Amino acid sequence: MRRILCAIAVVLLPSTSFGQDLQAITDDVVQGHILPRFDNLKETSDTLAAAAADDCSPMVEQLRTAYADAFDAWIAASHLRFGPTEVDDRAFALAFWPDSRGVTPKTLAALIADEDPIGAAPAKYADVSVAARGFYALEFLLYDEAFSPSAVSDYGCKLIQTVTADIAATTTAIDQDWQQDYATTLTNPSADAHYRTDQEAAQELFKALSTGLEFTADTRLGRPLGTFDRPRPTRAEVWRSGRSQHHVEVSLASLKDLAMRLTGDNAGLQERLVAAFGRAEAQLATLDDPAFAGVADPQGRFKVEALQTSLSGIRTIIRDELGPQLGVEAGFNALDGD
Amino acid sequence: MANRRQFLTGLLAAGLVPRPTWADAGSPAYLAAAARPDGSYALCGLGAGRDVLFQIHLPDRGHAAAAHPTRPEAVAFARRPGTFAIVLDCRSGAQTAILSAPEGRHFYGHGAFSADGHWLYTTENDYEAGEGRIGVWDATRDYARADEFASGGVGPHDIKRLPGSDVLVVANGGIETHPDTGRTKLNIPVMAPNLTYVADGQVVDTAELGREWYKNSIRHLAVAPDGLVAFGMQWEGADGPVPVVGLHRRGEEAVLLDASDEAMRQMQGYVGSIALDAQASKVAVTSPRGGVVQVFDVAARRLDHTIVATDASGIAPGKSGFVATSGLGAFWALDANETPADSRHDLAWDNHLVPISNPA
Repeated sequence: MRRILCAIAVVLLPSTSFGQDLQAITDDVVQGHILPRFDNLKETSDTLAAAAADDCSPMVEQLRTAYADAFDAWIAASHLRFGPTEVDDRAFALAFWPDSRGVTPKTLAALIADEDPIGAAPAKYADVSVAARGFYALEFLLYDEAFSPSAVSDYGCKLIQTVTADIAATTTAIDQDWQQDYATTLTNPSADAHYRTDQEAAQELFKALSTGLEFTADTRLGRPLGTFDRPRPTRAEVWRSGRSQHHVEVSLASLKDLAMRLTGDNAGLQERLVAAFGRAEAQLATLDDPAFAGVADPQGRFKVEALQTSLSGIRTIIRDELGPQLGVEAGFNALDGD
Repeated sequence: MANRRQFLTGLLAAGLVPRPTWADAGSPAYLAAAARPDGSYALCGLGAGRDVLFQIHLPDRGHAAAAHPTRPEAVAFARRPGTFAIVLDCRSGAQTAILSAPEGRHFYGHGAFSADGHWLYTTENDYEAGEGRIGVWDATRDYARADEFASGGVGPHDIKRLPGSDVLVVANGGIETHPDTGRTKLNIPVMAPNLTYVADGQVVDTAELGREWYKNSIRHLAVAPDGLVAFGMQWEGADGPVPVVGLHRRGEEAVLLDASDEAMRQMQGYVGSIALDAQASKVAVTSPRGGVVQVFDVAARRLDHTIVATDASGIAPGKSGFVATSGLGAFWALDANETPADSRHDLAWDNHLVPISNPA
């Protein structure tokens, strides 16, 4: 029977941390992990919009490189799904994936077929479906043959400029909210604020780490794996641009950074996490399957499954050791309700 | 020539053999799935006095169960995305039938019987199409698959029958999942939960909550004898105090029950189980995430009181008021000055406490 993978939930219990200075940990995560990531996301997104404004041709190296840099910056921040990313569905507007019903290509094709003026109006583009916004929509425009990237139309060109400008506006808004407000919210809990204690703030960060690992294991790897009888390589994330494996690498590196910061001064736990992440890193180093096309043959599949098993090992350590240290205990029902 | 089954059925029809009833299984008032101390799983029959009358081994972690309206027979569902459910004879503990989800479907873990006990309806996912289905199983023919129809939405979870009728009410949670990606939610930005009423396989009524609540996944249901439906939700949007309990009556607008911001926050946007009391004057919900049970006044449409209960899970009407279970083994009466600590079993109760219904 299929192994049931647990959704992560958090239940508040009295802190069981052994003298961890949660305030110091939260400060370090905000200053060293979160703010640099959203700054970088904003900067690289601005560069992407500027590159598209300069030359919208999807085949041009400058645009593709700018796209890769900004997308990397998003993947490295994509587990931080609370606060500013959740206002007005900003995170979904940057990243509508998985797209199980193929809404993104359908919506884009309709905009192009109609030459809908909104596709040439960056300031209004936030009104279109989230499926036609963000990095995943842009992948179709830059890499999918159905959108003729090698012979882009005038409208297609404007649409690329619009999507990139919309990404830049969204990432700027997230970054501003973090700088001006949410960094303080997270690091200065008080009785009538969103986070009432340092423990609640630490739990938010723990949840981000747990759900980030879950997403990479279950979705980035699980979706192309499908079942043994029916692997689904074309359900891999960003296979068109051959970035699937790369996204796993970028997300794991970022999640490792967060995990290590959350361990505080627990050297034993740090050692076990470094070893567990190390196994996954070593597997990735020899995987050489950029778009996860290899899941279609048994040998390639075995490698991706082995990687998934390593991620599950990391998740167990996070749940059983890091969670209790941060005062996060999962109850039988609270852990994975339904 | 008549085979043994037909012969026995003939005898039953002629009233020559006494039909087994729930009394033959010790007259349990509730069913609940649980984890045992040794890590195995069981379906338990529980008495009105909150004693454990029987424990039947389950091969995997259970979610909810459906109790046959007359026969001492329970259908135990695995947790989603389970592909099988087992039918248990609650007198002997024997497994008498097995329901296997058809190719391309999985169960969501809830089911309801028709008033006469002939048909069992199960919530299912047609996961390639991303559409909710209701499976129909014939309880008179070893639970053979008989039919299926649309649930009226995506991600149908709980299903109940309106008392005194064969109208079904379905909580279409709105969330698409696929077994290949575990419990990953695939459509949060475009999710559209609803309550759907179905009669004879046809959608006869649908209730939605309005645009601002499209991320409030309608998951669990309780029904009153007069057709009032109470629903518990799970919020998928940004953090903040949101209502997660509502009431609906066919032909009317759904209403959300009010509580202070602080009280709403305690629920953590998450209802695990919901129940109406016998008079349908109160509705109670559990939040295992928030570690609370909240009781709302139906007439006033607002929160009455909150009870702190770690890992609170199942809830059901009691002799008066409510009884509740927790993942820590508590099984207590809310209104009898009891606390969860007063009644600890060595069983970790799973999500739901299913009342064995009086025929209606």
